[in-house]
Amino acid sequence: MATNGNYIREKARDTKVMRQCDVVVVGGGPGGIGAAVAAARNGADTVLIERYGHLGGMGTGGLVTIIPQLADLTGKQQIAGITQEWIDRLAARNAVDMPKKEHWGSLDKELVQYYFKRSFFYARLDRVSYAALIDAEISKIILNEMMEEAGVKVILHAWGTEPIMDGKHCKGVIFESKSGRQAILAKVVIDSTGDGDLFPYADIECETDIPAHYRIANLAVCFWVAGVDHKKMMDFRDNNMKEFMDLMRKANEYGGQGGFMTSNLPDQESVVWFHSRYPNKSQTDVEELTRVEILGHKIAGKTIEFYRKNVPGFEKAFLVLTDPQLGTRSSRRMVGEYWLTEKDLSNNQPFEDTIATFPDLDRGDDSLAHPNMYIPYRSLLPKNVDNFFVACRAFSSDKHVQDYFNLIPHCIAFGEAAGTASAMALSAGVPIKKVDIKALQKQLAKQGVPLPDVTKKVDYKYEGPALVGRPFTPPH
Amino acid sequence: MKTVREPARDIKVWREVDVVVVGGGPGGVASAISAARTGAKTVLIERYGHLGGMATGGLVNIFPNLSDITGKQHIYGLTMELLNRLDKHGATSYPKKKDRGSADKKAVDYYLNANLGWFFVRKDLAGQQHVLYSAVVDPEILKAELNDMVLGAGSELLLHSWGTQVITENNAVRGVFFESKSGRQAILGKVIIDATGDGDMFVAAGAECDNACDNKRRTAWLALVWWMTNVNLRKFDKFKASQPEKYKELMDELVKLGGYPFSFRGILKNQPNTLWYHSMQPQPQRTDAMDVEQLTKIDIEARRRAVVTHDFMKKYVPGFEKAFIMLTSPQLGTQGGRRIIGEYTLSEKDMETDEVFEDTIAVIANNDYGDISNKHPSLCIPYRCLVPKSVDGLLVAGRAFSSADTVNETFNIIPHCIAYGQAAGTAAALAIKEGVEPRKIDYKALRDNLVKQGVNLPKIEKSVGSVASNDVKKDYFQKYRSQ
Repeated sequence: MATNGNYIREKARDTKVMRQCDVVVVGGGPGGIGAAVAAARNGADTVLIERYGHLGGMGTGGLVTIIPQLADLTGKQQIAGITQEWIDRLAARNAVDMPKKEHWGSLDKELVQYYFKRSFFYARLDRVSYAALIDAEISKIILNEMMEEAGVKVILHAWGTEPIMDGKHCKGVIFESKSGRQAILAKVVIDSTGDGDLFPYADIECETDIPAHYRIANLAVCFWVAGVDHKKMMDFRDNNMKEFMDLMRKANEYGGQGGFMTSNLPDQESVVWFHSRYPNKSQTDVEELTRVEILGHKIAGKTIEFYRKNVPGFEKAFLVLTDPQLGTRSSRRMVGEYWLTEKDLSNNQPFEDTIATFPDLDRGDDSLAHPNMYIPYRSLLPKNVDNFFVACRAFSSDKHVQDYFNLIPHCIAFGEAAGTASAMALSAGVPIKKVDIKALQKQLAKQGVPLPDVTKKVDYKYEGPALVGRPFTPPH
Repeated sequence: MKTVREPARDIKVWREVDVVVVGGGPGGVASAISAARTGAKTVLIERYGHLGGMATGGLVNIFPNLSDITGKQHIYGLTMELLNRLDKHGATSYPKKKDRGSADKKAVDYYLNANLGWFFVRKDLAGQQHVLYSAVVDPEILKAELNDMVLGAGSELLLHSWGTQVITENNAVRGVFFESKSGRQAILGKVIIDATGDGDMFVAAGAECDNACDNKRRTAWLALVWWMTNVNLRKFDKFKASQPEKYKELMDELVKLGGYPFSFRGILKNQPNTLWYHSMQPQPQRTDAMDVEQLTKIDIEARRRAVVTHDFMKKYVPGFEKAFIMLTSPQLGTQGGRRIIGEYTLSEKDMETDEVFEDTIAVIANNDYGDISNKHPSLCIPYRCLVPKSVDGLLVAGRAFSSADTVNETFNIIPHCIAYGQAAGTAAALAIKEGVEPRKIDYKALRDNLVKQGVNLPKIEKSVGSVASNDVKKDYFQKYRSQ
């Protein structure tokens, strides 16, 4: 066999073209959903390929069933568009839980306390926060419906692995499936793999360093436990906080996991949710993914053993599910046409090409001074490829920006902008880098995306009360 | 056909080992464990983040047909090792030993009403129901135990790694390309075991195979299992018993709406209020597990069916007021795919001959083939069913074993695949030790080794060609009937 040291020669071949289309989106997580729906609704013939059998990525398969940080500290909703549509469709099925609209941004201590107790995600900066806990299974169906209505051609169980490059142009992608290796050719390619899986093959400049103490440095193995006697558990926790905390510590010592969150969804009182952090060397290293996956399952098993024996309310509890997708938080980050960096975390002036606004809620006093983060269109564009978008957490950002702004609603917003821009560029017959930004912003606004007035000079100073609560790092 | 040219290139070799097992379902897990235990340097690669395939990710959490209807157990080996491990965690349930084979109405009714009870009872020729040995398992605990067993055996494991193509040299398979978040890489090995379920490796290997399947067969369709929980079963049962006509009317209405009316009591006893929906429905045409567009279509349709069912039951059926869909299966339920053309192909006639092959590597209870099952309560599986006719360096472990669609339908389920895997893994390791191709190994050495591992095999004293003499056959069946 022709082996060259640690390499083996793979022969040239002709790979079957399954389809030709306008826009191909690789990855059906939040970024890919936003991208595919927006591209198709704006008239592009769109194909979405997804590795698993469901859409939603971390929001469904990762059991990260939380869409947080939708309103800023004043309670003004800043992320809407396709994210809000997803939530509205869940609400119509009674499959979502969130603070009431009239409470968003409220500083009322009792209210904040009430919501915080209900979910850790419902309070930020001493205020009630707009975050939605979602039903993963119903979400999978809703997302399928949204694709079908928009006319997206979805291919599930298909792993998009490589771009087909021709100099500065990306002609399509190769994917693997039970039908074998095939190609999809497209005029615009959108990388929504979360990890920028297409970058290495397209020579797209990226960074991968993540300091160990950052949230995004960790993998997660989320799992659900059902059969919990909710009332018994809550009574015990409320009346014996010290004992409860002691038990949580002992659960960790036992090799399990202390600390969990309640499901909060209608009729799902018996379900609790365990979220976790596993340090690792790299989230694109398959050996590390394997190691953490095995460790996570072991810990889930120990957790259920310990809780059943020791924690009131868990006597009949059982492990329903460990996440079908390993919880990844960050890996490759593009260095694109505009690179969002630490200095942008204190910039209150929107970019001329702003395509999304993200509430800044997790950085304590720094957040008070910088209530919103603005995302320029250019942060979705690589420098070296002319028809390629990055619409996922691999957007152009340094580790500081990435640590706070790579969550589910953020990725949907990247996707909505990229998908809309793709379709507009194609119908205008211009390259995506030359798309009319004002027209794009107008179209996004029409789709319900809140955008700032980019012409106005901003002179912002926080004038509210000083923070009482300590800022904390959220677990998502 | 339009194509794109992919240039030649160098792919990084991640490992060079003895045995590479592609696919971590029941067949692959058993292959990796037994190859490693038999001394081969082994790697198992699995597409998903968990092992167990249909048994875990497919939510097909049932190991059926471990015994025949007389209660005689045929499947032991790794299946029993696994069940014993689960037992320690209270993570499996099954009919008591004393009840297996029983036709006692009380026992039969009890098990019919137990979780996944349908799998515990089968009829004999006279129509009399008997309890048999099948085991329900907890998929989550199973995932953790399988990790432990594979790693404990000394095999390496790569999850989230999709083995896509074999690397061939002359007429032999000598490695596999796989995709992962680390990019395309290769693993070289002396023997590759295809445990993908669908014979995904056959294509690039040039191994002759068959994918035809009569549309009437279970194996012709895809399915998606889901669990509905928070069901008040007592209320539901009472409603069904007291208003059977109303219930039937409602279910007819549900079917009209595109829902799915059939469910089993789900998972384990200590996991109450849960129903198990196996939304397999006869399709006008075969749904081909090798066609990614059909996989997509069925996945989407089945999910829709789950929601229609959920909404309807919740609204109209007593007991479902607070129900919710707890889980749809992370892996789409595939039941049959490519089947290798092996050195021996099991066909319908083999179910009626009681042939004890010289290279028998498993004996499997035959419970689901009507009259034939009653007359021939078990089937011997020859090693040659796992050996491709035309390609070296390749073994098949799992439902892609060499069989006609009739045989495949009945003998391709979880414990069977474990048995094929145990044999394939052992054979691969022995072939490497002996320095021969897998097809050339000494059958007796393989059988002896399997028996040492606790696999139940008939004793073959003397043999004529590849087939044991009639005396030997008679002896074996005499012996086990008397047990």
